[in-house]
Amino acid sequence: MSATALAIALVLVASAPAAAFSARDMLGREVALAAPPARIVSLVPSVTEVLFALGAEARLVGVTDFCDYPPAARAKPSVGGMVNPNLEAIVSLRPDVVIATTEGNREETFAQLKGLGIPTYLVAAHHVRDVTDLIARLGALTGREQAAGPLLARLERRVAAVTDAVARLPRPRVLYVLWPEPLIVPGREALVTELIQLAGGDSVTVADADAWPRYSLEAAVAKLPEVILLANHGANTGPIDEERWRRLTSLPAIRDGRLRRVDGNLLHRYGPRVVDGLEQLARAIHPEAFR
Amino acid sequence: MSPQARLALVVGGLAALLVAVAAAALFVGSAAISPGAVIDAGRAAPASVESVVTRSIRLPRIAVAALAGAALAVAGVAFQALTRNPLAEPSVLGVSGGAAFGVVIGQSFGLGLTVLEAMGLTGLAFAGALLAAAAVYLIAAAGRGMIQIQTLLLAGVIVGIFFSAAITVIISLLDVNRLGGVIYWLLGNLAPIPPGALGLFAILLAVGFGLVLSHARELNLLALGEESAQQLGVNAERLKLTIFTGAALLTASVVAFAGPIGFVGLIVPHLLRMLLGPDNRLLVPTALVGGATFLLVADTLARNVVAPAELSVGVITSFCGAPFFVYLLRTRYRGTL
Repeated sequence: MSATALAIALVLVASAPAAAFSARDMLGREVALAAPPARIVSLVPSVTEVLFALGAEARLVGVTDFCDYPPAARAKPSVGGMVNPNLEAIVSLRPDVVIATTEGNREETFAQLKGLGIPTYLVAAHHVRDVTDLIARLGALTGREQAAGPLLARLERRVAAVTDAVARLPRPRVLYVLWPEPLIVPGREALVTELIQLAGGDSVTVADADAWPRYSLEAAVAKLPEVILLANHGANTGPIDEERWRRLTSLPAIRDGRLRRVDGNLLHRYGPRVVDGLEQLARAIHPEAFR
Repeated sequence: MSPQARLALVVGGLAALLVAVAAAALFVGSAAISPGAVIDAGRAAPASVESVVTRSIRLPRIAVAALAGAALAVAGVAFQALTRNPLAEPSVLGVSGGAAFGVVIGQSFGLGLTVLEAMGLTGLAFAGALLAAAAVYLIAAAGRGMIQIQTLLLAGVIVGIFFSAAITVIISLLDVNRLGGVIYWLLGNLAPIPPGALGLFAILLAVGFGLVLSHARELNLLALGEESAQQLGVNAERLKLTIFTGAALLTASVVAFAGPIGFVGLIVPHLLRMLLGPDNRLLVPTALVGGATFLLVADTLARNVVAPAELSVGVITSFCGAPFFVYLLRTRYRGTL
């Protein structure tokens, strides 16, 4: 088949549905849909969590291999990984929309889906307000506004409880370690940076403009962190090596025994469990306030 | 049998095999679509699953695999004739590495596969490929006339290491969120590309292939040595420059549109040489069809062996190519190394 014939095939595919319902995604793109989507494929674990929390899981027809929460998400058909989802598997699920992220999925995937005539709704979250925005948007997209309201109110109450508890406490310098080797830390645009702030600490790597910059160990040590938090990444990435940190005995955090592990899935995903992550951070930074 | 009849027979046979493999590849994939539905996909509603999977996913991917395989095999024949060295090949010579460096620079500035951006990516890949090939040639040729096999291979390895270090520099500066995509691309992955980019890819390959095929007879004479070739009326310097440009263009296009995929240019020409002998007039056109068939088989395996996940086709070609390279070293070129 010639390239021309292919082009014709693609044009036919792309021009099929008439848009009667449209939404603006979190990157401000217009997403044209024939109707409110009844069949959603999620390429983002956070989005999968939000859809379940909203009770919209019946509309969720496909997820990624990394969508492991809630456990029922595992029972949904998988379309593969976040970087290399299987296009045939996605098309076979006949989605009305694919929800994807600019942080973890690839631009090539969006271009391919566009070529196949499948609308993509893009999300991204750098702040807590983006998490609440995401929940509200997905509530509206799936007709579950009545579930989104109470969910958001509950989350806001729990955030307020944490910020109240740490309001008058001293703010220690916190080094958050996303990945030890090479050292990757949260910069200004990472959600974790704001969560550390809300949990009553100051991230020592906040000055970096990127979301997740690589960092030299020297630079991190020079900031004299008073708390060091090591993120784990689920069961399949192996144990955290604490020893290399314990050797840095001149650091206030090591001297005072404030090297702690945190559950990365609660802090790097931007679903409703981010509040569990916030409470966990507050306990790690201010154990005395939560006895 | 006259050479023309022999060529027609071999190319015809390989082309029939290519068509058969391409047809078979259309029927397998992780979407469970019955053979009947694949056959009917041309008549099915354009938005149906059968039609989209068959015509918009499998068919363009088959096209990319065939084009890339053809280009890599012809580039292999060209580099082997140019260097008079049977182990020369785009990835062994570091030329793919140079092209990959160009593409990674383009990607870090956000270039994708719209026709205009793809031109930019290919231009950068071409510049990188020329730079790498020139560096290998200068290092290996320094001070001597005939280039020794081991000098050339070592020069290729060193240039390859240099460019992978340069790629690592760029990767170290990338945001973590874009890291996965670039690394995935570096493994060599075929994916359906937009029709415009596919057309551009085909045009670039036609140019590179034309440059090599139109000089196949002169390449045979070059095998006798540059001086003998000159005496037989070949402008050896111009010939080398033309072939060099053509092979670099083929390599660069594949790297820009499909990623660095190794060893196709080694395996396919060698198998064909075992069948047909060293005549480049036979090797160039048969490598075109044979390379297309080989990479299409490799990609069909990559798409299906761990379905619904996918392997990188570069992994499969390297698994075949590395042992093949060792076999060639141990058997055919033992005395020369």
